[in-house]
Amino acid sequence: MSELDLVLGLLDHQIVDCEGRRCGNVDDLEIEGGPGDTPVVTAILVGPAAWRERGWLGRLASRLGGGKMVRVPWDAVAEVKSGIELSKTASELGLGKGDDRAAQWVEKVPGA
Amino acid sequence: VSKIFQVALGILAAIGGFVDIGDIVFNVAAGATFGYQLIWVVAIGVVGIIVYSEMCGRVAAVGKRAVFDAIRERMGFGVGLGALIASEIVNFMTLAAEVGGIAIALQLLSGLPYRALILLAAVVLAVVVWVAPFEWIERIFGYGGLCLLVFAVGALKLHPNWGGFGHGWVPHVPDSGNLLVYGYFVVGLLGAAMTPYEVYFYSSGGIEERWQPADLGLNRANSIIGYGLGGFLSIALMIVSAELFLPEGVDPSTLGTVALGAEIPLGQAGLFLALLGILFAVGGAAIDTCLAGAYNLAQFFGWEWGKYRRPAQAPRFTISWAVLLVLAMAVIMSGIDAVMLTEFAVIFSVVALPLTYIPILLVANDKIYMGRYANGRLANTLGLVYLVVILFVSLTAIPFMILSHMGQG
Repeated sequence: MSELDLVLGLLDHQIVDCEGRRCGNVDDLEIEGGPGDTPVVTAILVGPAAWRERGWLGRLASRLGGGKMVRVPWDAVAEVKSGIELSKTASELGLGKGDDRAAQWVEKVPGA
Repeated sequence: VSKIFQVALGILAAIGGFVDIGDIVFNVAAGATFGYQLIWVVAIGVVGIIVYSEMCGRVAAVGKRAVFDAIRERMGFGVGLGALIASEIVNFMTLAAEVGGIAIALQLLSGLPYRALILLAAVVLAVVVWVAPFEWIERIFGYGGLCLLVFAVGALKLHPNWGGFGHGWVPHVPDSGNLLVYGYFVVGLLGAAMTPYEVYFYSSGGIEERWQPADLGLNRANSIIGYGLGGFLSIALMIVSAELFLPEGVDPSTLGTVALGAEIPLGQAGLFLALLGILFAVGGAAIDTCLAGAYNLAQFFGWEWGKYRRPAQAPRFTISWAVLLVLAMAVIMSGIDAVMLTEFAVIFSVVALPLTYIPILLVANDKIYMGRYANGRLANTLGLVYLVVILFVSLTAIPFMILSHMGQG
């Protein structure tokens, strides 16, 4: 993939785990390869700490959102479609924790 | 047969999604001020919302992506976050205005105190969104909104001036009257017809209903016939207002005056149906805007979302719509005039339009996503023409609002 393809095809796309659960967006990419080498994506970065590099609004949102970030190794990516499909569950990779915490509250309401 | 049934349901949903407090306020005010002269603007607005919701529905069915996924993917985090903040603000203003509209309609029907009815409205909306499946929400409010057809009957009974009506379809600048006020109504009518929450809700709805490429015919029928009928109802409101309020110099600044438009030609039954229609149309729009606010947040941040999940399976999405509803109730309880708030919401939403519609056009064109379902020549031509229209109205909306003193001249 060229740099443009990486940005269009991966960055800011939805991440879906192997059970079809939405568990974050691609907030940043970890790319390896020096000048002249073919760049290789080694991991997907998810969480507020990854917003720091995403413009001034991103920096502000990152500060408000706290410093957490999850690194998803590229090995865990099963398929890239319009979303990024993982080969493991969100909890195995440490994703979707915000929804897990919120669920404890919502579950208290009858019918949830 | 089930296909026809589905089309019928989708059409009803589209009516509910189109005619909301913004359309009611702007169409009636436009009729009372300029008679039939602004019908052409409604027609342009309706074609615009058809073009873009058809694209959104197609992206949902083929690419499995809703509008705010597209906004973030195409605009990036920074600009996308700006678009999110802007759209959440105008969406929230619209939601609060719709909740106020429900309470006004309930008050005219029951005579109970306004603030108690705001509370009742919010509780009923919360229960409906919590309990009812997505499809049923669309159906209940779509069917109820059909009561607005009473305005079409009323319009016929008032024997409109068909010559003037025909002339209204031709874009023109009026010979007399305040041009700044005319401009304000042009911008407001376009904004009311193409309010962004309609596409947020429509595209997320396509995913809620698990549309597939096989449903693209359904998508096209829903958007064309549904929004077309919504435009028909808007024009009926404008005609009634032109016949009743323009000659008398009445400024229809309350929903009660709007309902008179059905009572004068059709009596008590007309009034009752008009209020019921307003209640369901505005109630449906309140749910649309409430869910749209939560869809946008969830899609931007990548949270789990959807009414097809149990509330606890999409917990941040659930909390988002609940909080938006409670805040809207609090804002409207504070005594802000719902009709006034509606005008502000429509005009400010016009400013946010390009950030919503440009990414839709880009994604609907993306061959990697869309393959052979990418935009054809017709969709692209119309999409680009409307982009020019949208850019024009978004740049002129606030100047027209200020210079015309919100249409007061």
